[in-house]
Amino acid sequence: MASPMEQFEIHKGLQLPTVELPGGILIDLSLNNSIMAMLIAAGLIIAFFAVATSRAAVVPGRTQLIAEGLFSYIDDMAEGIIGHESRKFFPYIFSIFLFVLSMNMLGMFLSFTATSQLAVTVTLALMTFAIVLVVGFARNGHRMYKLFVPSGVPWYMLILVTPIELISFFLRPVTLALRLFGNMLGGHVALKVFAGFIPALATLGAVGVAGAILPLAGVVALTALEFLVAFLQAFVFAVLTCVYLNDVVNLGDHH
Amino acid sequence: MAAEDTLTAPGAAPAALEGAHAGTAPAEHGGGGGLPQFELQYWGGQIVWLLLIFGVLYVLMSRVFIPRLRRVKDTRAETIASAVAEARRVQDEADAQASAARAEIEQARTRARAVAAEAKAKANAEFAARQAEADARIAEDLAAAETRIRTLRDSAMASVGDIAVDTAGAMVERLTGTAASAADLRAAAQGAA
Repeated sequence: MASPMEQFEIHKGLQLPTVELPGGILIDLSLNNSIMAMLIAAGLIIAFFAVATSRAAVVPGRTQLIAEGLFSYIDDMAEGIIGHESRKFFPYIFSIFLFVLSMNMLGMFLSFTATSQLAVTVTLALMTFAIVLVVGFARNGHRMYKLFVPSGVPWYMLILVTPIELISFFLRPVTLALRLFGNMLGGHVALKVFAGFIPALATLGAVGVAGAILPLAGVVALTALEFLVAFLQAFVFAVLTCVYLNDVVNLGDHH
Repeated sequence: MAAEDTLTAPGAAPAALEGAHAGTAPAEHGGGGGLPQFELQYWGGQIVWLLLIFGVLYVLMSRVFIPRLRRVKDTRAETIASAVAEARRVQDEADAQASAARAEIEQARTRARAVAAEAKAKANAEFAARQAEADARIAEDLAAAETRIRTLRDSAMASVGDIAVDTAGAMVERLTGTAASAADLRAAAQGAA
């Protein structure tokens, strides 16, 4: 029987040239199943939104209704967290939410989950972190230090608070990446392990067949849970992106 | 134990593959615990492709899809707001018209009441006048009749003396055979009366 880890293996498809970056880092641009999953995920989003918004009407059709529902859902969330300036960052938040959601959901239907690849989640997390840093310095300049020195805190507390704030700030991309990666990895491993019990028990005769019902029920329940997790993790990623952006967009003024 | 075996099995194949690639991966692979995600040889490609794909997605989202959705939502909000304002305006107009109509009805009713009262008063007055006229005419007729009766009686009373004189004369002439003088007769009649 296949190992539960086999589903995360990368298999090369179309061979493309390897590029060498300065510093001797080799990047193999060949297509593989992870990249295919990302391409399909993004392709589905683009196709869906192209169809849904092609004839955008005041009275929406079915696809437009879904697209607008997603749009309003994330737009309201972003505005609730960041405030009136959320519109500037909304395209990024919405794109990352849809992309992660699409990759997570595809993992429930295809044999490969792109978001269970650490390379993918780390890149997404670092992208968000970089945007937070760029926005923060562009808006606040040298006043960015206030992020680590909360106002109204006595100096002897700052000795304690500032290192904690610094560490938590720089751990953000790590937790962001590991949370998504861990959820997707764990969920799919658990599914595979439980599913593996079914044929293993079923070969043990009548008692085994009866016993196999338990892992079967478990797999059904876990699949439902995984759909929830797939959505939830995409939403959490989007929410945290908003929260981190809010920290630097509304630095200093408590709103 | 069986799980351990199966865990190491897929790890072995990529390890062999990496050997063929002449990469530096086997060193990390030993400590990686067999998780395929830690095969760093595939990281570069995934990262580059991810950035590319996300870049395209972001550009399409921010340039095409989100403006379209924003526009349609704004249009809808405007449409609804204007429709509501229009409905409110029409409602106000209808209310105003209704109250105007109500006032008009009220006015008409008071006018009608006034006309009715006036007509009644006029009818009453006319009736009273006609009655008075009739009364007057009757009284007049009555008075005329009374005077006529009185004159008739008076004249009748006046004739009574003559008749008595004539009758007495005739009786005297019949009884006595001689006519009595008119003066005697009149005196006799006067005495009888």
